[in-house]
Amino acid sequence: MEALRQTQKKYSSRAITTAIFAGFFLILIGQQAIGKGLILGTVFGIVNFVLMGETLPLRLGKSKGKTYLFSFGSIFFRYIIVAVPLVMAIKLEQYNLFSTMLGIFLIQFFILAEHVFGLIASARGKQV
Amino acid sequence: MAYDVQTWVSVAALSGGGMAMGFGAIGAAIGEGYTAARANEAISRNPELSGDIFKTMLVGQAIAESASIFALVIAMMLLFTKFAAHILMVPVLLGAGLAMGMGAIGAGVGAGYPAGACCTGMARQPAMGGRLTTNMLIGSAVCQTPAIFALVVAFILLFTDFSQSPVSPTWAAILGAGISAGFGAIGSGLGGGLVAQASCEGIARQPLTATPVTNVMLLGQAVTQTTAIYALLVSFILMFKTFPATDLIAPPMALLAAGICMGIGAIGPAIGEGLAGQSAVAGIARNQEHVAELTRLMLVGQAVAESTGIYSLVIALILIFVV
Repeated sequence: MEALRQTQKKYSSRAITTAIFAGFFLILIGQQAIGKGLILGTVFGIVNFVLMGETLPLRLGKSKGKTYLFSFGSIFFRYIIVAVPLVMAIKLEQYNLFSTMLGIFLIQFFILAEHVFGLIASARGKQV
Repeated sequence: MAYDVQTWVSVAALSGGGMAMGFGAIGAAIGEGYTAARANEAISRNPELSGDIFKTMLVGQAIAESASIFALVIAMMLLFTKFAAHILMVPVLLGAGLAMGMGAIGAGVGAGYPAGACCTGMARQPAMGGRLTTNMLIGSAVCQTPAIFALVVAFILLFTDFSQSPVSPTWAAILGAGISAGFGAIGSGLGGGLVAQASCEGIARQPLTATPVTNVMLLGQAVTQTTAIYALLVSFILMFKTFPATDLIAPPMALLAAGICMGIGAIGPAIGEGLAGQSAVAGIARNQEHVAELTRLMLVGQAVAESTGIYSLVIALILIFVV
């Protein structure tokens, strides 16, 4: 499980560092709602990602039916958590809805970006 | 008992929110369950790699569930936003919920296919783990494209002011736009997933073919997305074209039928194209010398499968512009 934890740590730390720097910069230039929304969304996105990893072992070593059942349960439980910042952003004016959404997807963005840049770099390396 | 407009708007918002999340959860859950089932098989084959397989599964599932988080976003907006009391908000809210809910199904299931194949491939070819993960992520990301189209349509519906448009036939155009974008995304998500799955399996079977397999995967997936683009096009026409006011029943029914025709008509061709792409990519992994012939045959097969999607597009356009 150490590899799993390291993966979670790597992407979560990248996401939260980016969100904090970008969020504080946005707050400093007067875009408080966007900055706060970004940080809020990222925090809950990380909680979702960590919970996803922690529930993975529960889904393995079981029958196919039970695996599907655990997947459904895991999704609904985590979605309740992801819904919290969205409801806050909709209801409270101090959080921007779109930057909150961006924050929720920041981990997925970093996962994709890392691999796409890796692929581009390796393709360039082959050309040279 | 008569209800006022505000009540109908609230009913539509609640129903739309329920449809967005209810339908939207189906695909991601099946995709995640499929990935977990394949990870089970992979760990039983090669238990020493359980850490790497877990890691791949986590990363794959994180991408696979993006579509249903889109659905969650739309559901929350529908449930917790106060909407204007205008009768056209009823089809807007139902259309947005339907578009996003249905639009997330194919992407969720489709993204689960390459994630599962990547776990199995990892157990078979541990040395190719990095390349397999990259290939899986790119394939999964393409599967999310139709769900993003559905999200865009849902946002446009929610943030466009239709209050100046005539109630009839605009109500049908709005609902048709949601149906077209939502149903039209199902096949492309699934078809793209089938191609990406074959690609991950192919790289695990024959690592030397990784480059042509990834390239043909991207080409095959691009073709599977075309019917979702037709559905998006019909949605845009229905949302942005100005329709004259009418008291007749035929014009609104024609617009609704256009959305249904393109939405449902896009499902089959995209899955068929995905099957053609799947076999071509699998064939290239087995026989790299014949990339050109296999790619050509794939494209010809996909073009023929595409024709039914084009018929649907033509009929939808006739329903909008001629009837």
